Amino acid sequence: MSAETPLTDAAHASSAIPERDLQAQERHEDELIMHLERDQFVAETSRPVARAPLSARARAGLWALRVFVVLVGLMVIYTFVQQLH
Amino acid sequence: MSTREITASPLLHQPLPTDEDLVRSHDRSRVHHARRHRRHWHLMWLLVGPGILAMLGENDGPSMIAYASDGAQYGLGFFVPFIPILFAMAYVCQEMCMRVGAVTHRGYGELVLQRYGRVWGWFGAGDLTLTNLVTLVAEFVAIRVGLAYFHLGSGVAVALGLALVVFTLSGGRYWRWERIVLGLALFNGLFLLAAILVKPHIGAVASSFAFTPFPGGSFNTLLLLLASTIGATVTPWMIFFQQSASADKGMTPSDVRHGRYDTAVGAVLAAVFGIGALVAGAALLAHDGSGIQGFAGAGFPEALKHVAGAGAGTVFALGLVEAGAVAILTISASTAYAAGECVGVSHSFNSSPRGAAVFYAANVGVALLAAAVILIPGAPLLSIALNANVLATVLLPVSLVLMVMLANDRGLMGPWVNRRSTNAIGITVIAFVGLCGAAYGIDSFLQAIHLIGS
Repeated sequence: MSAETPLTDAAHASSAIPERDLQAQERHEDELIMHLERDQFVAETSRPVARAPLSARARAGLWALRVFVVLVGLMVIYTFVQQLH
Repeated sequence: MSTREITASPLLHQPLPTDEDLVRSHDRSRVHHARRHRRHWHLMWLLVGPGILAMLGENDGPSMIAYASDGAQYGLGFFVPFIPILFAMAYVCQEMCMRVGAVTHRGYGELVLQRYGRVWGWFGAGDLTLTNLVTLVAEFVAIRVGLAYFHLGSGVAVALGLALVVFTLSGGRYWRWERIVLGLALFNGLFLLAAILVKPHIGAVASSFAFTPFPGGSFNTLLLLLASTIGATVTPWMIFFQQSASADKGMTPSDVRHGRYDTAVGAVLAAVFGIGALVAGAALLAHDGSGIQGFAGAGFPEALKHVAGAGAGTVFALGLVEAGAVAILTISASTAYAAGECVGVSHSFNSSPRGAAVFYAANVGVALLAAAVILIPGAPLLSIALNANVLATVLLPVSLVLMVMLANDRGLMGPWVNRRSTNAIGITVIAFVGLCGAAYGIDSFLQAIHLIGS
């Protein structure tokens, strides 16, 4: 967040209208932001979710799936390369 | 991410918003307004998008040519009822994606990575990038095939595809991107128009719903047909895309009902337009249509022109250009979501290019890479295009299994977890897809190493 700098009187006077605009805009933004659920904010979704506890059976199943897909994928890629020749 | 700091506000008891939050909240305010004033159709209009885009995006160039090839080679009998069944399967998978996205507000890639570990996250992202790249090449080929009918070459196809990607990205808003792509996607209906223009025998189309047995041909051809037709309806990119797009759109659990309507409408439209391509292709059955397979040049539009008139040929060619163009946009977006989610940086159309550099770079980069491939002289485009759907089918079980696990994760989903019936259908779909993909992969491999004959 940027540090606030003190303004001179002249600067205050010249910035009066833009400041009002700024306040109105901020009010509008505050009203808009009420339409987001708390867990929709980028700040919330940037926080990682916890790792899921997996049973030994689930882990074994996922490893079997990984091996299956790699094997069949390699077969398809090999066949594709063969077709090119 | 914006210059605003992400800290807790003592007044609002919620984090200070980023620019991305502000853009999303603008869209959400319209949804709240429509809901409060019971404007049902307006609410529906605001909430449709990810489902229709995922389904019509999958009615892409290779898929529409696969359907037309099926019609030209085998007629309507088996495939007219098979396509709606496949889209019903796709609905079950995509509804889960939409629900997980709306409840968790997170994309598929980041949830898999955080919930099941980096290996699975990167495995899914790698699997997606490979299939997306191959499919994107096929989309550029489809545009080229469509444009070839109008005597335009590869350069125009590449320029058109890339210009669309850059144009749709230039607004800094999800809503703008979604509406432009939705507008384009509705032109998928050109395939229905092509079917009408070939003047099919209505009785023959109606009687084809009686579900005739498997079409003739070798075992391997049948497996290829099944694998490529499944790959034409459910693919890994759809899973990544719909979940991430639902979160990016700002959907919440209160929008799940409308998300289901959106997905169902997309599935029905995609099935109808897919059958349109099949019926148009079937017009070539009595004219040696079996000779026109896959991407055999600009064969389809030209052949249709000779059989059913210039109108049918022109509409089919324009349909191919549309199908390829929409798929380039949605598939590039799914790659960009996956890249941003796995790297752990901002990944939203609601962010500026400066705030989400990886997201925007991946979106354009993957399209550029695919475009470069089709400009290589002598590149095996036909083989790439034909194998794109098959590769997607083979790699699909991983994405589906992890999706079902996420949708059953009570820690994430709370009361929105899958019902038993959804799980039963989901597991059946995974088993069916896995079996078809594996059977084709193994059979083709054994033929390639000459262990069995074709």
